[in-house]
Amino acid sequence: MKKTIRFTLNGKSIAREVPNHRLLLDLLRDELGLTGTKEGCGTGDCGACTVYLDGRPVNSCLVFSGELDGAELVTIEGLRIGPELHPIQRAFIEDGGAQCGYCTPGMLMMSKALLDENPNPTEEEIRFALSGNLCRCTGYAKIVQAVQDAAAQLRQRNAAGAAGEK
Amino acid sequence: MPELTVVGKPVTRVDALEKVTGEAVYGYDLVLPDMLYGKVLFSTRAHAKIKRINTERARAYPGVAAVVTGADAPWTHGESIKDKPFLAQGKVRYIGEPVAAVAAEDEDTAQAAVQLIEVEYEDLPVYTDPEEACKPGAVAIHEDFASYRKADFIVGSDRPNIAEHFKLRTGDVAAGFRDSDLIIKERYFVPTIQHAAMEPHSAHAQFDRESGRLTIWVANDAPFRALHEISEALNMPREKIRFINPLQGGGFGSKGGLKVEPIAVALAFHTGGRPVRVKFNREETFISTLTRHEAVVYCKSGVKKDGTLMAREMTIYWGAGAYAEKSPTVCIRGSLPAPGPYRIPHVKVDGYAVYTNKPVAGSYRGYGIPQGAWAVEQQMDEIANRLGMDRVAFRMKNIFVDGDIAYWGEQLHSVGLKETLLKATQAIEWGKKPPERPGVKFGKGFACIQKPTRTPTTSNAAVLVNSRGDVTVLAGTVEIGQGCNTILSQIAAEELKVPIESVLMHPLDTDVIPYDASTTSSRSTYHMGNAVRKASIHAREQIAAAASPMLEAGVQDLDFRDGKVFLKDQPQIALSIAEVVRRKFGPEGVVRGDGSYTYEIGKDLDLETGHSDHASAFYMYATQAAEVMVDEETGRVRLLRMSAAHDVGKAINPLNCVAQIEGGLAMGIGSALHEEMVVDSTGKVRNPSFLDYHLVTSLDVPKMVPILVECPEPEGPYGAKGLGEPGLAPTPAAIGNAVADAIGVRIYDLPLKPENVYRAIQRKTKKEAA
Repeated sequence: MKKTIRFTLNGKSIAREVPNHRLLLDLLRDELGLTGTKEGCGTGDCGACTVYLDGRPVNSCLVFSGELDGAELVTIEGLRIGPELHPIQRAFIEDGGAQCGYCTPGMLMMSKALLDENPNPTEEEIRFALSGNLCRCTGYAKIVQAVQDAAAQLRQRNAAGAAGEK
Repeated sequence: MPELTVVGKPVTRVDALEKVTGEAVYGYDLVLPDMLYGKVLFSTRAHAKIKRINTERARAYPGVAAVVTGADAPWTHGESIKDKPFLAQGKVRYIGEPVAAVAAEDEDTAQAAVQLIEVEYEDLPVYTDPEEACKPGAVAIHEDFASYRKADFIVGSDRPNIAEHFKLRTGDVAAGFRDSDLIIKERYFVPTIQHAAMEPHSAHAQFDRESGRLTIWVANDAPFRALHEISEALNMPREKIRFINPLQGGGFGSKGGLKVEPIAVALAFHTGGRPVRVKFNREETFISTLTRHEAVVYCKSGVKKDGTLMAREMTIYWGAGAYAEKSPTVCIRGSLPAPGPYRIPHVKVDGYAVYTNKPVAGSYRGYGIPQGAWAVEQQMDEIANRLGMDRVAFRMKNIFVDGDIAYWGEQLHSVGLKETLLKATQAIEWGKKPPERPGVKFGKGFACIQKPTRTPTTSNAAVLVNSRGDVTVLAGTVEIGQGCNTILSQIAAEELKVPIESVLMHPLDTDVIPYDASTTSSRSTYHMGNAVRKASIHAREQIAAAASPMLEAGVQDLDFRDGKVFLKDQPQIALSIAEVVRRKFGPEGVVRGDGSYTYEIGKDLDLETGHSDHASAFYMYATQAAEVMVDEETGRVRLLRMSAAHDVGKAINPLNCVAQIEGGLAMGIGSALHEEMVVDSTGKVRNPSFLDYHLVTSLDVPKMVPILVECPEPEGPYGAKGLGEPGLAPTPAAIGNAVADAIGVRIYDLPLKPENVYRAIQRKTKKEAA
């Protein structure tokens, strides 16, 4: 059965007729050409396909497109802040958080979700937050380091912003 | 050596930006215009004759463009034994073997149609244990083995289902054991595990009837070898075949050879010229691509009271799975150094690669070294304990050093092993008494390894310098995540003395990139590094020759720095290399430098003795050490910290070296503590998902201490050796030794999952009570 859905994707309004059972992951990758969201398992076990659905990180391989009417979606392609890289993206570059890079978009989305909620996470909190995102290349050390560095940068930026407002 | 400007520096990865923005396009991402979607019917039987295949209903299904079976693809392939059909031919040999395939207008249609194909099987005996499969009287999994085309180094055997038999014969082991004061023998087991690269497998193919050209888009780590295999199988000229490599989301050995490619090719001949994509999902990747060899290792060692090793005898059964793939060379290169990096006068090794009815085993990061090390390094600890010697001191007495003649007849040089042993053990405070706490036991352990690389092989490269000063490197090394694009960019930037930002790695396309053997065996930094270095020097020499009249100086009086060529004694007299190229060759001109590197060996491996004067272009040495805490009530092993000291020759990029070591360690930890592909007696994989096959997560990794040891290899670029593989090779043995140290009883079978450790503790407690 097909259904017309209207949703926001990385700030743009989209209307699309989709089969109800089409997975959000397949809709993004095969139909909308947004292949930054990766498919690692298709069963919600690896986190490579993490996107934000109404502000919350979800595995897009577990979401049916039919549920998306009125939703607000952000993918890795929408993580930049304007033309600038998000600090978490910059930290992954500088600390070597990406190797093959296939888990990276999902890692970045989940890391941002953590930092939005908890601007000053401990190492343990970072490891816990990312424990549903599998990486086979890095051994996680540089990823954890990158999240810590991004957190520090964001705190600095927010402090500067707050000072500016005063 | 003149001062290095960018080699040896912790340069950030050149490919990081596209990876953090999601712009990087991997094989699995590729959507081609007008493409069809392929789906595969996999065998549900582990060993059976195919009585009948009925594809009529699938062919008639609306939206289906093509259906193929083995009858449409009468070809076989295989790196050293041509035993593997594109699609099953008359019989199936494992659950997961591709039997038929469909190409359709969309994925759902292809999936629906594939389910309409009917196959009638007649079951044959199933072998899931390599020791059983090669017992006299076992039914042949490959009845026509004798008639297969094979490489010269394939040695036959009287026993059934043996794909390869490797023999190493040095001295007289019987005499060695006679002269020993202590003899220990044991059986060890390493289960099947999987690479589990985060990107599953896929391939795209298109056949253009007019030009007769076949194009394959695939993240394959050895596109030139894959091209050669396809060309041989189809009897099609190489020039008619083109491989285009999108990015690869990890491989670890799984993405060489031919996996999904033959299915895509078989379909592409029946789609009227339309491209077809075949994607394996995760479960299909688990059962139908590649695994690491399970191994049964028998090891017997003889030693003098003073700790001098006298003799070692090993028999290793490598479970090859249903097809030979790279089993013969895993068997050779894994069995050869299996007795460990030690001086042993009397050595006998028999390695058997044995066919079974399980998913195909092949190359896996470490190429046979972890299996041998699991056995030998634990036995080394057991010997030291029985002799009452410190485990480090016992290794130090026997360990390879520069100038030693290894038991396979080669004189070793640039051996940084001792330094890795001392540094790795120091890093976990070897000798410091462990704490005492009720309910838990603490222990320490380590393991040493030596790993050869595939030899002899060739790498070629070209370096283009244009009139804007941009440098393009054409190299066939595949960026699989290991960081080769960064390393090779650093080498080109170093030799041309340009900023690394002006170096671009050309995408990999076999139509334009010069030949390279493969991105395997930790060979790229050494072989391709040398080739890119030579190509860069060749380009630099042409630029110097062109600049010489412009600067009115001899080439010997010129030097390069910051993208400029200048007079050595008057640096202010300078031209940018961009300007030199433009003035000499015009605004569209390009200087092309070419470089080639082949490591020549003296004699091939002797098939009767396993001896060679140069078995490997270089050797990699490493020691890893672990500190563990074992919960006596649950058997759970907690890693407290791990150190990993690796002799890299020269760290061209220390940041990348550390990244390789950390990643290898994490993989090794998984294989030590929980990874195993569970295959039942019918040949079915019981845990083909990330839910049931436990990969290491961010919570499972302890504090890691990577240590770089630099014992330069004279032939390597700037002294570099390889590093990609050894990171996981000693890990299970190091952890196993730490666990045995903690609980006072040794576990011989991997993985060290809680129930195995718990049972070992129980056995010990019962024994002590009795």
